[in-house]
Amino acid sequence: MKKISFALFIFICSNCFSDENKINIIVENCRACHNVNINVKEIPYIYDLPKIKFIELMLSYKKQKDNNVMTRINRVLSEDDIRKIADLMYD
Amino acid sequence: MIKDIHKRKFIFNLLTGITYISLSKLLFLKKVNAKNKPNVVILGSGIGGASCLKYLNKISDLINLIVIDKNKKIRTGPFSNLVIGDIMEEADITFFLNKKKYNNVKFIFDEAKYIDSNKKFIEFSDGNKINFDYLIISPGIGYKENIIDGYRINDKVSVPHCWDGDGDLNYFKKRLGVLENNSLIIISSPDYPYRCPPAPYERASLISNYFKKKKINVKVLILDSKDSFTKQQNFFKEWSFYYKNTIEWVSRKNGGKVVFFDRKSNLVKNDQGESFKADFINIIPDQKAAPIIFNSNLVSNNDDWCQINPITFQLINFKDIYVVGDSINAWDMPKSAFSANSQAKVLSLNLINRILEKDYIDPVFLNTCYSFSKDDRAFSISAWYRLNSSEDRIVSLGSSESQVRLNSTETIKEAKHAYGWYKTLVNDIFL
Repeated sequence: MKKISFALFIFICSNCFSDENKINIIVENCRACHNVNINVKEIPYIYDLPKIKFIELMLSYKKQKDNNVMTRINRVLSEDDIRKIADLMYD
Repeated sequence: MIKDIHKRKFIFNLLTGITYISLSKLLFLKKVNAKNKPNVVILGSGIGGASCLKYLNKISDLINLIVIDKNKKIRTGPFSNLVIGDIMEEADITFFLNKKKYNNVKFIFDEAKYIDSNKKFIEFSDGNKINFDYLIISPGIGYKENIIDGYRINDKVSVPHCWDGDGDLNYFKKRLGVLENNSLIIISSPDYPYRCPPAPYERASLISNYFKKKKINVKVLILDSKDSFTKQQNFFKEWSFYYKNTIEWVSRKNGGKVVFFDRKSNLVKNDQGESFKADFINIIPDQKAAPIIFNSNLVSNNDDWCQINPITFQLINFKDIYVVGDSINAWDMPKSAFSANSQAKVLSLNLINRILEKDYIDPVFLNTCYSFSKDDRAFSISAWYRLNSSEDRIVSLGSSESQVRLNSTETIKEAKHAYGWYKTLVNDIFL
């Protein structure tokens, strides 16, 4: 498992087309709260969601009128960003 | 069917990744065999340093990875106000790095006194030295002396500032614990820039919360060196809901700037000549980069903060020395644990790219900073950051805050998120 994550990690951080690169580092930042290896009860664990559900959830924040932390973080991400984040996290 | 496609894609990515890293490693090891492995030293194992360690550990078979810290245990700045407010214990925010996760890493627990940037070594207090090829410094912060006449940073008798992992939280709590009904507390809040901008106001809230629970009537007077502060409207709302007539804020222009402190008579004076006598005075000093930075002449032109390249975090004018966290000027990014963690990711990934002779990634940073107003209520400010078009500074893409409402469950939910973020962070980097 360690070797797999190491290989994926290097693969991720070394494929340096500007846009993909941006998505990779965005995902690293998401992991500050949504860590793949750490499941805490206060924050939803998102890695066992179906990919399509994740995309729907992220897009739904864009329609929400309240000002919760995910709505605010989502504001800067485009629909294209969200789909690429999903590709990286679930494929 | 979809699962099969995912599985095939995963195996393809994995094989490509393994092939890629194997080739990179082979090429790199060929060079390494000709020379020794590079010494990569991380000085400081707080949130910035430990986050770098987590990432650099992934190439620990390609480098000699060394971590230096004067302390074996790390007490975090985040959540220290919850300890002061008697919501958490000091042990809950104190951690030992889990060495089992870092088999290839050498740990040195000693105080570094000096960094020789030319000869590339670190000197310890006993005269021992260690060489580095690449040095990451995550030193926390230092404090400006002589801003408040009569106040000494390391005076052991005054109430400690408790703005870093060294401050005596238990002594702070002990001094709070003896206050009686109708006592007055003064918090002197520093001028920008400083570590964790909303924390003085969170501290005032949680101290008030503590006394409210004990049914002791204590007033908190915040004398501020600034005319406004982050999350101000949210704090004001929370104070009007929960701490009416208990917390009073005085802006700089209205006499908040403290310039004199007399420990014996428990008195401060502002820059307008007014005196304030209190039962408990907590001065949070103005701040600058950590002492090791100044002792090693790593700042220039009377700067208070380290100037860095925002893509690599390499110190300007100092090759192979990188700085992360609260000691840097990160432009629009605040000095926070979340920021340090985000910066550490970019620093580490780009240092790995440098060692593997790959292109640098284009950085993106995130900050979310939670503040508590009581045990179960918190609110946050968030922003994404990128580089400006000339790629010489970090700029905000626009920060946004929670909107506190008395009857909304959002503030309670945010408190849960705050606890969740903290658990995730410390589990990820320390445990």
